[in-house]
Amino acid sequence: MMTFFEQNALYVVLLITLTVWVGIAFYLQALDKKVSALEKKITP
Amino acid sequence: MKALLLSAGFIIGIAWGIFPGISKPKSTFAKLFALVVMTITIILSLLPQTAGSPEDAVLVSRMGATKFIPVLCTIDISHAMRTDAPGEWIIPLHGSSMKSFLIRYTSPTMDDIDNNTFGDNNEVIALLKRGSNDGEFFINGIVEINPILTLPYIVGLEERARILYFHVPMSWIAFLAYIIAMIYSVKYLRNPDQYYDSIASSAASLGTVFCVLATITGAIWAKFNWGSFWNWDPREISIFVLLLIYSAYFVLRSAIENEETRARLSSVYAILGAVAAVFFIYVAPRIYGGLHPGSADDSSSGPVLSQQDGTLNVLKQIILSLSFASFTIIFFWLLNLSVRIKFAKKALFYSNNS
Repeated sequence: MMTFFEQNALYVVLLITLTVWVGIAFYLQALDKKVSALEKKITP
Repeated sequence: MKALLLSAGFIIGIAWGIFPGISKPKSTFAKLFALVVMTITIILSLLPQTAGSPEDAVLVSRMGATKFIPVLCTIDISHAMRTDAPGEWIIPLHGSSMKSFLIRYTSPTMDDIDNNTFGDNNEVIALLKRGSNDGEFFINGIVEINPILTLPYIVGLEERARILYFHVPMSWIAFLAYIIAMIYSVKYLRNPDQYYDSIASSAASLGTVFCVLATITGAIWAKFNWGSFWNWDPREISIFVLLLIYSAYFVLRSAIENEETRARLSSVYAILGAVAAVFFIYVAPRIYGGLHPGSADDSSSGPVLSQQDGTLNVLKQIILSLSFASFTIIFFWLLNLSVRIKFAKKALFYSNNS
């Protein structure tokens, strides 16, 4: 696994971009939860 | 030129964020623009091949590596010559410099070589390895013929040089977010309106998200370039302290029940935190020597800020600028959503209680 990443440096970059998107996705998920909670309050 | 290109990225991103207003809904055009900029950034940051010069291949082999590296060159197949060895050819090779080199190539069929195998006298990216001397190479195939865009090969970094487009914008946005939190904290202290406090706290939380992302992306990269996930480099220490400072901000916020006291105290804290952020991001890592580019023992002030020639290729400047723009837009978009949700929640709360 480690040797694979050492030999294919481009996949290290892929891992890094994925980390960034996962981080942003988590924040979006948190926002989504807040909106859902609001929607629950609005609809009787 | 470089400063102009990079600040263009910041300005596009910030302009997207503050028009028509940090917490106003964005127009369809603005959203479409954001998606286009993000798509172009992703394509440009990952698509161009890395390609060095024959001199880079020599340098890599002098450092003891035995691998083939991508080299941008023209293989002059029309002047190829047979040698005494069966199936072996000597082919002239031209890089970007005036020097000419040779390729020693053994045809697998022990026969003539096909013109198309080496790009038919077009510019190609070939995988080369230094042979018995500095002017002679072995070839292990062609990666691309007539490449439109290429990124420079940096010995020791290779493809990992692309972290520049993801890791650097993360810390820039963390800084931007903390400054926005400070601006709205000052506004709150001048005019105690919960509206300002919502923006300040959303900006601080997003800043922390991006700060964590900068740390994780840096750690993954450091494992493969510096050998370990965490090296206690001055910049690593400073971002760690910054994370501690801003986690205390959220601890402070959640510890106070009363809305006004919470907003007032956390505003003061956010202003102090932003002052510390300037010091920890821009000053401290430049005072001490360390692994990050731009440390005190580095020959330049780092690829992003240095005004020396050749520290950052023009294509890389453009991609970095686009990357700054697109991540700034993502940040402002998330901030916009988060603030609007907070307002809606407050409005609902007051309408229920009135």
